Amino acid sequence: MLQAADISVAYGGFQALAGVSLRAEAGSILGLVGPNGSGKSTLLNVIAGVQFPDRGSVTLDGRTVPAGRPELAAQCGIGRAFQIPRLTRRLTVFQNVLIGAPDQPGERVSELLLRPGRVRRREREIAEAAHAVLRRVDLAHKAQDYAGNLSGGQQKLLSLAMLLMGHPRVLLLDEPAAGVNPVLIAREIALLRELRAERRIIVLVEHNMDMIADLCDRVIVLDAGEIIAEGSPAAIRADARVMRSYLGEPA
Amino acid sequence: MIAIWSVLGISLHLQFGLTGLVNFGQVLPFAIGAYGAGFAAVHGAPGWSGWVIGGVMAPLLGLVVILPASRLTQDYWALVTLGAGELFRLAMLNIPGIAGGVEGVSVARINASGTAMLAALALLVATVLFARRIGHSPLGRMLRVLREDEVLAATLGRDPVRFQRVVTAISWAMAGLAGTLYAHVIGYISPSAFTVAETFLIWIAVLLGGPASILGVVLGTTIIQLTALSTRFVAQWSQLPFEFVANLRLGLFGLVLVLVFLLRPEGLVPERRERVDAASR
Repeated sequence: MLQAADISVAYGGFQALAGVSLRAEAGSILGLVGPNGSGKSTLLNVIAGVQFPDRGSVTLDGRTVPAGRPELAAQCGIGRAFQIPRLTRRLTVFQNVLIGAPDQPGERVSELLLRPGRVRRREREIAEAAHAVLRRVDLAHKAQDYAGNLSGGQQKLLSLAMLLMGHPRVLLLDEPAAGVNPVLIAREIALLRELRAERRIIVLVEHNMDMIADLCDRVIVLDAGEIIAEGSPAAIRADARVMRSYLGEPA
Repeated sequence: MIAIWSVLGISLHLQFGLTGLVNFGQVLPFAIGAYGAGFAAVHGAPGWSGWVIGGVMAPLLGLVVILPASRLTQDYWALVTLGAGELFRLAMLNIPGIAGGVEGVSVARINASGTAMLAALALLVATVLFARRIGHSPLGRMLRVLREDEVLAATLGRDPVRFQRVVTAISWAMAGLAGTLYAHVIGYISPSAFTVAETFLIWIAVLLGGPASILGVVLGTTIIQLTALSTRFVAQWSQLPFEFVANLRLGLFGLVLVLVFLLRPEGLVPERRERVDAASR
């Protein structure tokens, strides 16, 4: 189980998050919605260690996730995909997927020089895994293209593929459907269902309310850094405060 | 000389071309290596101790220099390394006890020009092979990730600072050894040989040839060094004062750099895709 407790972040005088707590169970998708600037991405950043919180803590299966250290959060099993995909644009799609794999002896000089056989073996294993992941996200045909040449939707799938190489327990996905064509959105939805079936914890920030309703087991609504509603997608859609602050008054 | 400066260029290729670290003090490890030879000469230490200083002290000092810079942005990296290089030069200028101060010091010179050339070529070949091994490896792949996006590397579980330290240690060792060899080839060292201008000469060569390509770095260094060495002949041929031609040369380098940025931002030899792809086979 992923737990974030009492997370607060202020940027100067602006309170981005004010004591937000959440819980997400294994094999579930938690939706995180709210107007722009409500603190959704900041919350994902805190959980992933990209942002140091002023207050609060994150635990995964009872173990504390070190704050403000993204590399340690990733090693704990937390994977973060960004709204604007972070990729190495001047490497190929295939190579981008390779870098998602942890435990690469070839990244150490001593291993490179003294144990080249081990490095080669691990490279072969990683390459096989990368091909499998690329097939899974439907990008196998783009493997040798530069990552920077992919469409926005394909780049989002690629950043998900990079995360999957590390077998994360938690996937923090920031607007995976924004700017993505309907065919790729359908692919993403199918993929997220598969990942939920694999007992992973998924936290999904998304403005596409159909996707949220379709996928999420539970939804949290943030506004001005505070939780204003929490519940099933249907309950959230019927909540008067949510209607006022985010979805808009019915006509 | 071209081989020695190419080693320096390759040390910058690893830091900047592959990893994106802006080091404006690359003359510092070079100077430490040279002063290792000078220190050994002044204090009667055996010749090999100079090489140890170049190959071991330079990377160790590099790690100390980048200690405050590790968590800083690239602009500060440039300033910290620039400052460290100047600090060392001024220290050597004002502390004669280490290696002669402002007057410099004579170092055992490799007299046979053939031997000097062979030694320089051997160092260059070893450096090229080592840099290629890194560039074509998973380590090289991760350095290219850091060049574009440190946060990405961190969110994939890598500590960017660890990689920055590794690259600094390797490239400063290369530059340190090049400095020791330089001292033995020239036979004399003084602080005036290790000014900021030297760092920028390496930068111009690297940017001209192509920072992400070893071949490009060697090509750029060759062009810059041949142009620099030809100043004397041009001055004689044109009957113009030497100083004037030397300054004209610096202006020419500046012009070349502007043209490279405008016409070929990746340098004469851009990073080849198949070279990078070799890492994934």
